[in-house]
Amino acid sequence: MFRLQLRNELWKLFGKKRTYIGFGAFLVAQVIIVLVFRYSRASHGMVDQLERNGYPAQQFVSSLTIATVMLFPIAYVLLPLYVALVGGDLVAKEAEDGTLRMILSRPISRLRLLLVKWVAGLIFATLLVFALGLIGLGFASLFFPWGGLFAFVPGELFSVLDPAAGLKHYLAAHVLLTVKAGTILGLAFMFSCFNVKPAAATILALSVTFVSFVLMQIPFFKDLQHWFFTYHLNVWQNLLASPVPGAKVCMSLSVLAGFNLTFLVIGCTAFQVRDIKS
Amino acid sequence: MIDLDHVIKRFGQRLAVDDLTLTVPAGEIFGLLGHNGAGKSTSIGMMLGQVWPTAGTVKVCGHEVTTRRQLALQKVGAIFEAPAFYDDLTGWRNLEILSHFTGPTSPERLREVVDWVGLSGRERTKVRTYSHGMRARLALAQALLPKPELLILDEPGSGLDPEGIAEMRQTILRLRQELGLTILLSSHLLNEVEQLCTKIAVLNRGRKVFEGALAETKRRHQSVRLVVDRFDLAAARLRQAALIQDERAGRFVTLAPGVRTDRIVEFLVGQGIRVFEIAPEEETLEGFYLTLMHGPPAGEVHRPASDTARLAPASTQA
Repeated sequence: MFRLQLRNELWKLFGKKRTYIGFGAFLVAQVIIVLVFRYSRASHGMVDQLERNGYPAQQFVSSLTIATVMLFPIAYVLLPLYVALVGGDLVAKEAEDGTLRMILSRPISRLRLLLVKWVAGLIFATLLVFALGLIGLGFASLFFPWGGLFAFVPGELFSVLDPAAGLKHYLAAHVLLTVKAGTILGLAFMFSCFNVKPAAATILALSVTFVSFVLMQIPFFKDLQHWFFTYHLNVWQNLLASPVPGAKVCMSLSVLAGFNLTFLVIGCTAFQVRDIKS
Repeated sequence: MIDLDHVIKRFGQRLAVDDLTLTVPAGEIFGLLGHNGAGKSTSIGMMLGQVWPTAGTVKVCGHEVTTRRQLALQKVGAIFEAPAFYDDLTGWRNLEILSHFTGPTSPERLREVVDWVGLSGRERTKVRTYSHGMRARLALAQALLPKPELLILDEPGSGLDPEGIAEMRQTILRLRQELGLTILLSSHLLNEVEQLCTKIAVLNRGRKVFEGALAETKRRHQSVRLVVDRFDLAAARLRQAALIQDERAGRFVTLAPGVRTDRIVEFLVGQGIRVFEIAPEEETLEGFYLTLMHGPPAGEVHRPASDTARLAPASTQA
């Protein structure tokens, strides 16, 4: 039955137009970024950086590098926005529309209903992330040659990989990007389980994410950074490094697993005790 | 089929349902009446495990809803005011989605129910294109899918035009006759309740103020219109002779049990009072309901007399 209910939940999710807003926004952002890199001097900084470090720039200004460059702004800004939008809708929109009352006149436990919705949300987040990666790489391939991967984050990451290793790291980074997407979706889902409007759940999740992000940047909290969930959300970046810092990745994944479990338990508890009224 | 035992529900400081004890026997069409905010929907919410009672027990089909909700609702269907669906999906898909929250449902069962409610031919179109009446049929279809023994209808006629209401009435009667369902009907449409229900309960500000057979509402207030030359004197003499129970509005009297109109006429004529007219006045459900809600109209003296109907005073608590 869980499989049937999950299939139904996916029908509902992908039957709504707003579910596709994220996919559309990613496509537009990727088109703009690729065109900017292709037809402006935006890639010159990258070329300088590579040449200063003794790498042949032409081999690394590639579709793989441009796809990775695109990943950063989208993963930081657009991805949280769109997964929070869908996560905030999962329960609160049904309550607002009145369909939740229809469902809860059925002999299904509230916990099971939430688990079905949560898993459906995670499937959406995974699809969104891989669509982001594959479409980005495909679109970049139209304008840039295949080649090695160069990823650079000042003070954090400088990585130069051959094409085969680069592709492997690129895909692995997306696997962990689903963890980021799933966590923010889980946060929005938690708020969605309370008696709030869908927009409120989305805004609350984004607010918590951004406030946490801003707080951890404040020097006073620098030593406590690893207690903030936003610090661990960028674990996916580590997968672009060579060698991959395994211990750091494992620690971040453990912390995020804890946060996700906490969000889910709070959401389930809030939903279990609340009254569902018209 | 449904048993509420001293159920209380508070929302913060507000008392929504106050010590409600209610029994809906199997096979009845049971009407739940009350003004907006009287606690009808909250009571239904508690029956369906959507609203948690603050105190008391709620049993449906013999199982306590708060602890054994899944067992309690296994054979229950429900329809709410303004039924909500997934408008971007077809009617058929909506039925599949909702039915799978009860258990596996075969396409044959779906087809059977779609045919029964008269949605055949439109089940594959998106719900957003449905009229209000078609949505009501779809709501009925989803409620019937689990082969319920109990159907809970919360304001099912809301928003329907007169034709839709008549159709709904016929459907409810069909449900009872053809499928033998027990039906709990919450409604503002007193005329519909009067035509459909065998028993009713009336809620006022969260408290039950009446529960009994519909016939009781008529019998309790069965009175006669009495036109005489001196009503006050006639009423006083009749009361003295224990022939009436009460008088109202200077022209109505409620006969004492076992007293017929010929006895009244005979008595009054014997007392030298001229009788111009005497005719039975049948109480409507609306009249009964309004009396319960607001008390007798000004100038009327109304003394409840029924010993079979369970009547409680209206609460003064908000």
